[in-house]
Amino acid sequence: MTKRSLALPIAVAFAATFAASSTFAQSVDTARIDAGGQNDWLTYHGSYKSYHYSPLAQINASNVSNLGVAWIHIPGRSTRGLQSMPLVADGVLYYTGSYSRTFALNGATGEVIWSYFPELDDALVARQTHSPYNRGVALGEGKVYVGTMDGRLIALDAKTGKVAWDTKLIDSQKLTVGFTGAPLYAKGTIVIGAQGGEWPGRGPIFGVDAATGKKKWEFLTVAGTDEAMKTWGNDSWRTGGGGGWMPGTYDSETSTIWWGTANPAPLYDWSGNDYKTQGARPGDNLYTSSVIGLDVDTGKLKFYHQELPHDAWDFDSAVGEFVMLDRDGQKLVVHPNKSGYIFVYDRSAALKNVWRITQNSNFVKNIDAKTGELIGRRDFSAGKVDEPLCPHISGGVSFNAGSYNPKTGLYYKLGQEWCMTLDVVKTTPVTAPQAQLNIGANFKIAPPPGGEIYGHLDARDPVTGAKKWEVRFPEPPLASVLSTGGNLVFVPDSRGVVHAYDAESGTELWNHSDGTGHQGGIISYSVGGKQYIAITAGFGGMASDDYAPTFGGVYKSMPRDDGALIVYSLK
Amino acid sequence: MKFELDATALLPAIVMAAALIWAAPAAAQSAATAPDYAPFDVEALFGSTCGWCHSDAGREAGKGPQLMDSPRTDDYLRNRIKMGKEGAMPAFGTAFSDAQIDDIIKYIRALKPHQG
Repeated sequence: MTKRSLALPIAVAFAATFAASSTFAQSVDTARIDAGGQNDWLTYHGSYKSYHYSPLAQINASNVSNLGVAWIHIPGRSTRGLQSMPLVADGVLYYTGSYSRTFALNGATGEVIWSYFPELDDALVARQTHSPYNRGVALGEGKVYVGTMDGRLIALDAKTGKVAWDTKLIDSQKLTVGFTGAPLYAKGTIVIGAQGGEWPGRGPIFGVDAATGKKKWEFLTVAGTDEAMKTWGNDSWRTGGGGGWMPGTYDSETSTIWWGTANPAPLYDWSGNDYKTQGARPGDNLYTSSVIGLDVDTGKLKFYHQELPHDAWDFDSAVGEFVMLDRDGQKLVVHPNKSGYIFVYDRSAALKNVWRITQNSNFVKNIDAKTGELIGRRDFSAGKVDEPLCPHISGGVSFNAGSYNPKTGLYYKLGQEWCMTLDVVKTTPVTAPQAQLNIGANFKIAPPPGGEIYGHLDARDPVTGAKKWEVRFPEPPLASVLSTGGNLVFVPDSRGVVHAYDAESGTELWNHSDGTGHQGGIISYSVGGKQYIAITAGFGGMASDDYAPTFGGVYKSMPRDDGALIVYSLK
Repeated sequence: MKFELDATALLPAIVMAAALIWAAPAAAQSAATAPDYAPFDVEALFGSTCGWCHSDAGREAGKGPQLMDSPRTDDYLRNRIKMGKEGAMPAFGTAFSDAQIDDIIKYIRALKPHQG
């Protein structure tokens, strides 16, 4: 770890103070994020409850037809579009574009208060596959925190954009991977997880002192304890994987960080049914494809649940959405797994229920709702797989978030219906970095048996999965969902249209084209008594790159190097 | 350098070739030090690295273009493999030696539809 001087010329910070602009960010702390103020959006998931919900109701089902564009911001150099979740504190909107370009904007006007473009290791970035997008920032203690693809976590002064500290956390030159996910601020600690999954590393998650940038702890998601080491036969922990590339959340009552971890490598194993003793990585491969609870102060593992023991399908648990509910005297946590199964836990990850959002799913026959056991799992041998695997590698759900609306009691979540043909390739252990990916198969996207690819917005009970209504889309939407106190659900779709639905009935009330596909965040906030909806538009990336060859149509000409932040308000 | 296309005959060779490649980090990281005599199994490489974008081991378009029957010149392919394309394809110029990239091009040129 190294710290960098504030005056380093590599950090290009444009600081411009506008006296007329709204108030600068006040101190954002744990209590404030926990409370999730009405006018703000203080952390990736809205508040630690992870509802992706705004109680604001100025824009509502009766007037949403009057919604129009208030202002637009173009971040530039949007290679692979925009995937960021904007944050707002005290009228200032913070967001990132590709290459971790970071902006602070006047939330009412879009006026640039400051911008910061970190100088990156371009040669390293050119070697990366899951790059150069960035999913957003964290706020806390008067600073804005952002990760970089070359393995750094940077703190910027929230008022000026000047670098407060710059800490190198992982050797990306060696490991190829870096940080694309947003950090999480909690109790004086910045938590950020590395990419992992397809690379030979141990998928670290870091806790960093918010004030100084000093690393406080590091948890290895691959064989991070003695117990876990025993679940990687034949020293297969060296092929690695794991990581935690999306931000999780924080339980302030127990000072626990909740985080989802990524898959082991290679993605597809040739073990056949004997995966405990045979194949590329014999055993359960802890703590990959798991949800874990870490002590925020020490990084010590407090509990875990491995959603997919020996994940052989790349349906990992890296989705960072942990919806914290109080129901019938129980404190519950709802977490979507990439497979399309939704897990319900108590606050120590003891399983309470499992339900599924997808129609087309055959990697297992089912997951036992009481024990979590994978029933009828398909463990492949090398060679062509006869029946297509469902869902497709892009998942039954996206890494982006759904929305829980406490007024309706419904969880609004997108499901994706697609499959893939698969030919499992037996490879030898990939333990040396720089080789890029470790997949273990050739494959191609395919429609579900007897049907077409599609996506759907479901309104469901988050605990039981009982469905109230569903809206279908010809191509799976990939972006996050927002619901509001105005009885609205917003879905930015892949074609580039933003839809607003009645939260109770699913009736479409409004739509508007943003001109390009969505695959990032959507939030609502208020400045000066006026409510805004902010959406990132801009397509491209591991899932969306499949859309042009698969669906043609508007995707053929849709740019994958462009993007905009589009902000709506009532006309 | 031996180059084979018969997948059914390749499994032992895949294991050996990949073992040699991946067991030699220096070879994987530096074109200058990559041993030009190392067997290099491109089919296994597609299964580990290239196949996510070049579907069916390069026979069909995916995120990346179909490579079978590519109209591009060898020089174009060589340059693209080495340099990559921003936002679309990683640069493999430091991962593979010139000889290994030549083998990748030979594999692409020899790609045929699956039998039967």
